[in-house]
Amino acid sequence: MKQNRSLFCIAALITCLCLLTGCWDRKEMDDLALVMASGVDLAEDGQLEVTLQIALPSGISSSSMSIANGGKPVFVVSAKGKDGIEAFGRLQQQLSRRINLGHRGVIVIGENYAKHGINQVLDTLLRSPDSRYNSYIVTSYGMTAKEILNSPYSLELIPAIGINKVQNNNFSISVKSDEFINDLTSNGKTSITGAIRIINKDSKQKTFLIDKAAVYQKNTLVGFFSGSELQVFRILKGHFKSANLTEQMTAPSKLFKGTVSLQFTKAKTKIIATISDGKPALTISLNVTANVLANDTSLDLSKAANLKLIEASFSNIMKKTIMTMVERSQKKFKSDVLDMGNIIHIQHPYYWKTIKHKWETIYTSVPVTIKTKIQIERIGRTQAPPYQQRN
Amino acid sequence: MKKTKNAAGTFDKQVNGLGFHLDEPISTNLDDNESMLQRVFSNCTDLIIRKLSLFDSKPGLVVYLDVLVDEMLWNDGLLDPLMEQTDEGSETAEQLIEQVKYRLSSVTKPEIITNGKHVVQRIVKGDVVLFIESASEAISFCIKNQLHRPLEEPSTEAVIRGPRIGFIEKLPINMALIRQQLRTPLLKMEKFSLGTISHTDLTIAYIENKASQQVIQDIKLRLSKIDMDSIMESGYLEELVSDHPYSPFPVIQSTQRPDLVSASLIEGKVVMLIDGSPFALIMPITLWHGFQTVEDYYMNFIFATMLRWLRFLFAYLALTLPSFYVAITTFHHEMIPTSLALSLAAAREIVPFPAMVETLIMEITFEALREAGVRLPRPVGQTVSIVGALVIGQAAVQAGIISAPVIIIVSLTGIASFLIPNPTMSQAISILRFPIVVCAGTFGLYGIIAALLAILIHLTNLHSFGVPYLSPIAPLRPSGLLDVLIRAPWQIMHKRKRHAQQKMELEEQ
Repeated sequence: MKQNRSLFCIAALITCLCLLTGCWDRKEMDDLALVMASGVDLAEDGQLEVTLQIALPSGISSSSMSIANGGKPVFVVSAKGKDGIEAFGRLQQQLSRRINLGHRGVIVIGENYAKHGINQVLDTLLRSPDSRYNSYIVTSYGMTAKEILNSPYSLELIPAIGINKVQNNNFSISVKSDEFINDLTSNGKTSITGAIRIINKDSKQKTFLIDKAAVYQKNTLVGFFSGSELQVFRILKGHFKSANLTEQMTAPSKLFKGTVSLQFTKAKTKIIATISDGKPALTISLNVTANVLANDTSLDLSKAANLKLIEASFSNIMKKTIMTMVERSQKKFKSDVLDMGNIIHIQHPYYWKTIKHKWETIYTSVPVTIKTKIQIERIGRTQAPPYQQRN
Repeated sequence: MKKTKNAAGTFDKQVNGLGFHLDEPISTNLDDNESMLQRVFSNCTDLIIRKLSLFDSKPGLVVYLDVLVDEMLWNDGLLDPLMEQTDEGSETAEQLIEQVKYRLSSVTKPEIITNGKHVVQRIVKGDVVLFIESASEAISFCIKNQLHRPLEEPSTEAVIRGPRIGFIEKLPINMALIRQQLRTPLLKMEKFSLGTISHTDLTIAYIENKASQQVIQDIKLRLSKIDMDSIMESGYLEELVSDHPYSPFPVIQSTQRPDLVSASLIEGKVVMLIDGSPFALIMPITLWHGFQTVEDYYMNFIFATMLRWLRFLFAYLALTLPSFYVAITTFHHEMIPTSLALSLAAAREIVPFPAMVETLIMEITFEALREAGVRLPRPVGQTVSIVGALVIGQAAVQAGIISAPVIIIVSLTGIASFLIPNPTMSQAISILRFPIVVCAGTFGLYGIIAALLAILIHLTNLHSFGVPYLSPIAPLRPSGLLDVLIRAPWQIMHKRKRHAQQKMELEEQ
């Protein structure tokens, strides 16, 4: 009797074990097409074109050889469809292995498609249990995602891993898909991604570059930030690592170009919303500390007066750059990139309720005041360079 | 000499079955005795019966088994005093026996036996039995020839620092080795005899007041229930006395090291020594003893603690590493970092088998290699290791039958299983590895967790002579953790032990 009972217990436990597994998705690794990156484009006929960059494991094992032979350890396939699912279905028909999105590190959105609106991508992204939320989203600039995914990259075996690493190292603006979706659903309904393009297109040293940021407003690409505008945007957002800024300090002379480069060590952004006469006004104050990375002027930075001069002029330049950036976002993009709507929501919740629905129009004309303060902590040298006159 | 009733009864039956009535008292006639023995020991060519004349006048009969008795001692030390002429004239048989007993008692411990059954028992034990004409009693005494190999360091429990001496197959020597380290009359060694044919001697050693009386009684009770023809090795007893003979986990520790036995005795454990086996059994033990070596206590406590954690880690690896690999590569690809996933995929590209089959093949091959290495004679063993390493390590990968990561996993697992000091624990973990691999191959990480939980439930159900197998962790006894998770310095541990003992004494009152 006792034996029967324990047998019953074991049988019951094994049954539970089998029934409670949920999805039973046993797949050998060599039956998977490991998608490293995917891209979406708007095809000429208005359909959606999905491109996948799939790693070729057999190419990796003898990687050095295959690269010398010009072979790529990746395999790029494209297919068109009315929506993402249909395109994926067509892609699967081309492949002998099952598409696995578990290792997709990069999603490239083609510029044309982004301008057209990316609702379908977001929908597929949010539904698919396969895709991970920590893959990076980038927008192609001036070309299609297909071109980006077809281009080789010499430094890494798999180009997608190259893009992934560039994003991971924060050398430029980097946005993961969960952040992207999060931002789109916030009060400002604005999101940013890195913008990728290929340079040296015609030469053999084809490579990609992420030096711009794509601005999305309500699922639609509205424009790009680049240059110093992007740098100050990153500083304002707190992504100040490697956001070095080089500016003209003195007029160029024969010996000196007159530029100074700063590396930022701390950046504190504070946005204050005030309401007067039922209208909002915003003040952005930016407090940064910086180190001097390069000094190509005749100024001796060990002198406090010179340092103050540089601080003041940098502060001024940054203020102007922020101003143009904000104005561009207001006038051209009509997109609340700094998420100032949220600030009003936090600081004046009751007032926010009254303007919530028309914030997008209010934003374009809301007055913004900018205050910048910069403090140079280290000049980066212990003594003046020999060419500088000491008296 | 204590003897279990059961065993004695069977002995009677066996000998009576031969057609003799040994319960009869010894005959006063020497020739009768001789013919009786010759009948009982028919075809036993190693039985030696010698006639002699005691004190130069009385005829006597000496019976013993060849080589078991130290003939040198017999001839040089005992024969002469017995043959010597005495002043006293003709005595009665009783007086003569007293006289012989007296003369022998300076060298050995003579005993008087009256009954034919005891005569046979003494002879098979290796004692000498002396019959005297017209006496109805015989004298038996023990002058055993100590046949044994020299004391060596046990090869399976080698240490870098510590005594290089191990038990051997002789019970009295093993007892002496323990006694040498614990010089106290509180160290008790009770003798028993087991096996209806073999009559193997065994000793239960414990330190009075330290060992729990309950455990000692429990052991005696279990021993009395044993009904076996022979006990050849401590392994027999380990299984027969164990609380859980059907569990792969050892609830009794076996060792060849006298220092470990002494240390365990001091801790209040009970030790069983069996004649003919160099292994002593220590009980009760917990799971953690399987991961401790005696050397832990001889070296720096910081290093010893590190080693213990290393063993815990590798025991875990030995149990789960292959199954973890199988689960990850067949179910949870997205858990692997991308670059590692790509190299794993690349390695698996040419392999025809699923990861689970591949791992099982390699694991079984490894176990076979290990077994072959143990069994084969030493010169051949080397060939096996070379062939095993070359064929399996190199050729299988090159031929594309097995992927390189699996080789790494299996060899790491193999090394890990050798890190567990207790061989029985190591075997337990090796056996459990296989069902976990199957669970991993069918259910993924979910299956591994389910299997580990099942093992954990099993472990919490185990007891070793009333001691919970996972104590002092479950049930938690924080002071005991000083010797489980870490090896605390002696100053602290000693204080703790004294404290625990005082507490126990108080509780007993």
